[in-house]
Amino acid sequence: MLFYSFFKSLVGKDVVIELKNDLSITGTLHSVDQYLNVKLTEVQVLDPEKYPHIQSVTSAFVRGSVIRYIQLPPDDVDTQLLQEATRKEVTQPRKE
Amino acid sequence: MDLSIVNNDYYLSGMAALVGDIDKQLMIMLRDGRTLIAYLRSLDQFGNLVLHQAFERICVGRQYADIPRGLFVIRGENVLLIGELDFHQPIRVQLVEVTIEEILKLQKEDIEKKGRIEKLRQKAMIEHGLIDEGNPIEEHY
Amino acid sequence: MLPLTLLRTAVYHPMLVELKNGETYNGNLLSCDNFMNIHLRDVICTSRDGDRFWKIPECYIRGNTIKYLRLPEDILGLVKEDVNEKPSRSGSSNRRPFRGRGDGGRGGYGGRGGGGGGDQRNNYKGSGGGRGGHQGSRGGGRGGGAGGGGQLRQGR
Repeated sequence: MLFYSFFKSLVGKDVVIELKNDLSITGTLHSVDQYLNVKLTEVQVLDPEKYPHIQSVTSAFVRGSVIRYIQLPPDDVDTQLLQEATRKEVTQPRKE
Repeated sequence: MDLSIVNNDYYLSGMAALVGDIDKQLMIMLRDGRTLIAYLRSLDQFGNLVLHQAFERICVGRQYADIPRGLFVIRGENVLLIGELDFHQPIRVQLVEVTIEEILKLQKEDIEKKGRIEKLRQKAMIEHGLIDEGNPIEEHY
Repeated sequence: MLPLTLLRTAVYHPMLVELKNGETYNGNLLSCDNFMNIHLRDVICTSRDGDRFWKIPECYIRGNTIKYLRLPEDILGLVKEDVNEKPSRSGSSNRRPFRGRGDGGRGGYGGRGGGGGGDQRNNYKGSGGGRGGHQGSRGGGRGGGAGGGGQLRQGR
């Protein structure tokens, strides 16, 4: 739940997503869900030479399980908050 | 929770967000590297999709061809990406359409070339004492 | 109409199943369940590279090994008939041009164009001959043979 909440706080920001098949796309984070599936708008593919057919895609839904990295704008990440949230998450008893 | 109201807008997360894309023409990338373009007719909570009037777009370099495939039921876990299409978007790299025969030939050559490069790479890795785990996307069962 | 519902409607129809390992299985669907496990009959299995073939009278495929299924396009028409038949079964069938349960969707959904699509399936059913396939002959045609997996409502 921690990363779900974390990404919810980043809705509206520009991110770069690298998939496990090496495809990288940039876009604005529109929504995220508990599986960390991500929906992006204003999608642009970073290497159109290698993936030319994706150029016509405007918004994309990316399945969480295929994401390798999500690159975030550093100014939008409050590391203090993240650290506190992580401590809470780890020390609190897990709810099933 | 799939539905919440945020800023007076309906905020659908996960698969529910795709409900708005039903009956739209979308581009679906599969884990095995295939790209399909089809109308989304239906989906469920696992991300299983019903795709109608689908065609498979094969791209080799800048050349491409579309092979009509009809009606698909895709198992959700095999999907990489579902994209909304806008063919009026400016394109930086222009694609050239070729015949299906031509693209299949090009694809075969491309796969052989990549296979050879991959073999050399793996050989080099082993010589350096590294073992390649393989591509997690293209699993071999 | 959910994907698994579409699959259930496709029972006795031919289809192509591609597994995650690239093998393809072409056959007629006998049954399926909510895990997408499927039971096929009269199957031709093709290897990943397309150069080896096996003829298999019956096979069972575990749902989690499936990549996708390709179905004949006329199945969509069949599902629409199913969806619209339900209100007529549950009572006032007077609104409809056809009567009662026995005539299912035949009157409303002429679907005469479906005659071509029906031919591939008749070798299994046998009793569907006269109506040539899926034009509203849902319960009668399919149920006649093997009890149609719980979908037999019309008790012919």
